[in-house]
Amino acid sequence: MNLSTRRQFLRQLGLSAAAVPFLPVLPSLAQETTAHPSMQRIIFIFTPNGTIPPAFWPDEVGANFQLKRILEPLAPFKDRLLTLRGVSNKIRGDGDGHMRGISCLLTADELLPGNIQGGSDKPAGWASNLSIDQEIRNFLQSRAETATRFGSLEMGVAVPNRADPWTRESYAGANQPLAPLSDPYAMFEKLYGSVKDRESLGSVLDSVCEDLRTIAARVDREERDLLDQHASFVRDMERDLQSAGTQQLLFPPPALEAGVAIDNDGIPKISRMQSDLLVSAFANGMARVATLQYTNSVGQARMRWLDIHDDHHHLSHEPDENADAQEKLIRINTWLCGEIAYLVQRLDDTPEPGGGGSMLDHTTLVWTNELGKGNSHSLDNIPFVMVGGGLGFQTGRSLRFDNVPHNRLWLSVAHAFGHRIPVFGQESFCDGGPLDLV
Amino acid sequence: MRWVLCLWWVSAGLLSAQDGRPEGAAIYAQYCASCHGEEGQGVPDEVDEPLRGDRSLDSLARYIDRRMPEDDPDLLNAEESSKVAEYIYHAFYAVEAGAEERPRPAFARLTNRQFRESVADLLGSFGQSHSRGEGTGLRAVYFDSDGMNKKARKALEREDRQMSFDFGTGAPAEGMKEDQFSIAWEGSLLPPETGWYEFKLITPNGARLYLNGDSQEGDGNFRDDSGAKRQPAFVDAWVSSGSEDREVTARMFLLGGRAYPIRLDYFKYLDPSGRLRLEWTPPHGVSEVLEAPFLSPASATRVAVCSTPFPADDASEGYERGTGVTQAWHDATTAAAVEVANQVVDRLRVLSGVEENDPQRVEKLKEFVATMAARAFRRGLSEDLRQRYVVAPFEGLTSPEAAVKRAVILILKSPRFLYPEIESSVDDFTVASRLALGMWDSLPDRELREAAEQGRLRSPEPIEAQARRMMEDPRARAKLHAFFQRWLKLDGEGDLQKDPEAFPGFDAQMVSDLRRSLEIFVDTIVWSDASDYRELILSSEIPLNARLAKYYEAPIPEGRGFVEVAFDPAQRAGILTHPYLLARLAHPDSTSPIHRGVFVSRNVLGGLLKPPPEAIAFDNHQFDPRMTMREKVAEMTRSANCMTCHETINPLGFSLENFDAVGRFRTTEGERMIDAESDFPSFGGHTLRLRGPRDVAEHAVASDQARRGFIRQILQYQLKQNPAVYGRGMLDQLDHHFAASGYHIRNLLVTLQSQAALLGAPNPESAR
Repeated sequence: MNLSTRRQFLRQLGLSAAAVPFLPVLPSLAQETTAHPSMQRIIFIFTPNGTIPPAFWPDEVGANFQLKRILEPLAPFKDRLLTLRGVSNKIRGDGDGHMRGISCLLTADELLPGNIQGGSDKPAGWASNLSIDQEIRNFLQSRAETATRFGSLEMGVAVPNRADPWTRESYAGANQPLAPLSDPYAMFEKLYGSVKDRESLGSVLDSVCEDLRTIAARVDREERDLLDQHASFVRDMERDLQSAGTQQLLFPPPALEAGVAIDNDGIPKISRMQSDLLVSAFANGMARVATLQYTNSVGQARMRWLDIHDDHHHLSHEPDENADAQEKLIRINTWLCGEIAYLVQRLDDTPEPGGGGSMLDHTTLVWTNELGKGNSHSLDNIPFVMVGGGLGFQTGRSLRFDNVPHNRLWLSVAHAFGHRIPVFGQESFCDGGPLDLV
Repeated sequence: MRWVLCLWWVSAGLLSAQDGRPEGAAIYAQYCASCHGEEGQGVPDEVDEPLRGDRSLDSLARYIDRRMPEDDPDLLNAEESSKVAEYIYHAFYAVEAGAEERPRPAFARLTNRQFRESVADLLGSFGQSHSRGEGTGLRAVYFDSDGMNKKARKALEREDRQMSFDFGTGAPAEGMKEDQFSIAWEGSLLPPETGWYEFKLITPNGARLYLNGDSQEGDGNFRDDSGAKRQPAFVDAWVSSGSEDREVTARMFLLGGRAYPIRLDYFKYLDPSGRLRLEWTPPHGVSEVLEAPFLSPASATRVAVCSTPFPADDASEGYERGTGVTQAWHDATTAAAVEVANQVVDRLRVLSGVEENDPQRVEKLKEFVATMAARAFRRGLSEDLRQRYVVAPFEGLTSPEAAVKRAVILILKSPRFLYPEIESSVDDFTVASRLALGMWDSLPDRELREAAEQGRLRSPEPIEAQARRMMEDPRARAKLHAFFQRWLKLDGEGDLQKDPEAFPGFDAQMVSDLRRSLEIFVDTIVWSDASDYRELILSSEIPLNARLAKYYEAPIPEGRGFVEVAFDPAQRAGILTHPYLLARLAHPDSTSPIHRGVFVSRNVLGGLLKPPPEAIAFDNHQFDPRMTMREKVAEMTRSANCMTCHETINPLGFSLENFDAVGRFRTTEGERMIDAESDFPSFGGHTLRLRGPRDVAEHAVASDQARRGFIRQILQYQLKQNPAVYGRGMLDQLDHHFAASGYHIRNLLVTLQSQAALLGAPNPESAR
């Protein structure tokens, strides 16, 4: 769809820019629903180009630790997060570091050989394995009590609209990349579009009925019979529409700001809109798994709203001695962390629909990155952070591992869902089983 | 194995008269009325059906003499039979008896086909259009690089007929590089019929398929080289993974007879080998390489396809018509209206031509909606209607897109769109609407609209000129194609399958080839200059490709395509012996003279067969295996009750017994010699000796009833009405024109459309 058309379209739907209190439409219904102590959700968040380790990793290990500058926005949730230093993406094979950085991140296996040439190494193709989010999605969808309308949502913020191993993290299987949806208006349509269609139908049917009456007044009997029949179908549909509609939603669709450009400068707003849509979709029980991908590997966002005019990837190549670049990269990553903190806050503000605390108590966010460090293109020490209570891990800790493969981290996540797979991705990196996070 | 076998019953059909002599009336009262009723209306438990039909008076008289009264056919002599026939004929039998009895035209909604075609032309009437090109292949540009945007690397331009390429480890053309190159194919796709098409892109390299998109602004491309990638690929296989072939499939609903923009991009970069194949599976077909004549180098414009599924239209009279509405239909049209409205909003700038920053945008969009409403309703908008359909939807909404969406749904849900004849008076716009529906199943085009606005559609000549012009449009071809699909049972549900042990090699590919062969056979005749109906029945040529020729033991044509192959005229006669029909009208492991006989009787000879009084399950194994199929059928239908119809059905079926269940010529059935000869009581009342298909064919082209039957079937399909609606003499008049034009099928269509368009007009200056 033409993007600005979409914008205009949503504006008409009466969705103002003002934030609407995000509360259940029918609190009584929410109360009556039996609590789901077993409710578990997970969100994988991707940001590109590595981090600045000294400004990221806490110096201490254990429950007593200080958050460094980049993680400062998560300070209100310090006791509900885990930092996981020493977990590495050890997958090698074809493709340059950036390609493997994103396409092997959630799939934890080598890329297939292919025709896409990176800045180094041999050309490569898609991932050879499904990604951990889809592994969990399939597990949840296979059981009636955990299955949802979508199963998983693949969302993006400013992901370029091209399909290659630098732009895809989620895979339904070998050679089956899933495209993240980066347009919040399109995401809104996907989640709530049919509701809005039904609304515009209501007024239309009224007019059809009126016109049918004027026509029926002057046609012959045989024709009138057919038209009368037609009119009765129209009235039936009107009744159906009145009884359906938004009332069936536990939470109202989020109020999206109209007219946001889907481009680089729109990123701050898009980010918030996607977060709102994600929380709303989870609250309405549409999915339990999501990926939220900020740009892509080699992401080139220019964060002019931070007064940073260089592109992110270019800055990430600057050596450690370039203090100016280091400072900018810290601010970029801090800003990204702030976006995650916003999402965490929204989840914490929203009561769990089935009862039992907030949605954050039943949701775990996993912040991932394609690289450990931008200027070395290292896939070691990926800056993994988890926030929230969805997986029952013991939070409020700074953890340090001894350079373990990230395959084992995904095993921990799967096992936390009760999905006790012995291997995920490249088998040789699964030795030792899940990391102990409980 | 058991099949339900239908036994058919000929309507002795009968209608009414005004001045039959007393003697005929007296005979009728004495011998006939007890079963047929005083006025031929029928008697419950005797003859339920009214005594109506389309036999000639002579034929009716001979029939009565031979067969009536049923319990004692010898009771009346020839003269008495003739008298009673004359009475019956004029009193109530003849369909066209008396203008005052002329039935009203059926008041109808759009059929599903009409809905889809109308929507495509409604949206298609905005923005640019291209004329359809020849189906010779796609334009191809070859580049000596993995990208397609460097003019300097352009190595070759040519036309490729077939989307299957194997470059091995080498270069795609002389003088080009081996390790990296790219190719772009562009043009239009020409799907032959309406339905779901599956596309399969198979390559170990990189490829993207763009289909039925809007061209980009700026460079006018259908693909997108920009980083923004606003142009979505229909099938994206750009990234190769491993050196194995990858298959990516996607489905799209397409309307037959239209041209769709298509673009296929391909590149190879350091992959071990290069190859690419684009296959499609048309409705009823098998997966085959996409090639000419379904590809054209001509440009095309995006077609607004509505793919919402509809419940099937009523086809109880042998053709689809929209004479009933159901909840399911209502739901489908609603969903379709929403689908189309979303398309309009998505493409609003392209369709309306109104810029988003235009200060007059809302007013201009209202004009756009008003134009759309007038085109959809097939006439100008009154002020009241403008208020309801244009102004009201814009009230109270902040976004013009929402208003447009609401207005489009309203227009498409309006009875003024859905019921084309809702206006009680007949004027120029009615005529334009009828021509468009009759010829195309669609909305009037610009020329028709202008002619109506200028009051130029009031007399036969300009109307006929319009019909003649419209006949040359691809939409007329598509509709006529759809008629032949139905007439020749090409649209049947269910697969045509044969017992693989009895007929090894007769697989889905073979069936698909046979369909294609029959379609080419019909197209070649219908669209030739002569357009001669008789050729459909008499021709002894069959288009065959190499695969079919081998199977049917004919000379094998060279190359991949279909070539007309001449057969012995004594053996093969037009559609009667086309192997597709012979196979379709047969059991999985044996022939079915009854199915074949019913088809020939009904569709070719114009006989009116009623459903059989009882359905008898045919169990092949109940018969002595030494019996021939002919003997089994004769045995099964020998009762007088059956023979009412089977005396005509069986001989027609037996005349085709020289063709086995897949349509191959044979002289024996098991150990037994085939006997294809029998006596056939023609509808004209004579007895004919039929020795094979050639005799049937020659009888058919000489038979008034056969020819009138063809006219009736084509009229019903095109107009969705019965001929009686058009009054006394319509069939006679058409028949007269048909004969005078050398049985020219396209002329017949032009004549019948232009005559039907004036039905009920206040002062049709029809001097004829």
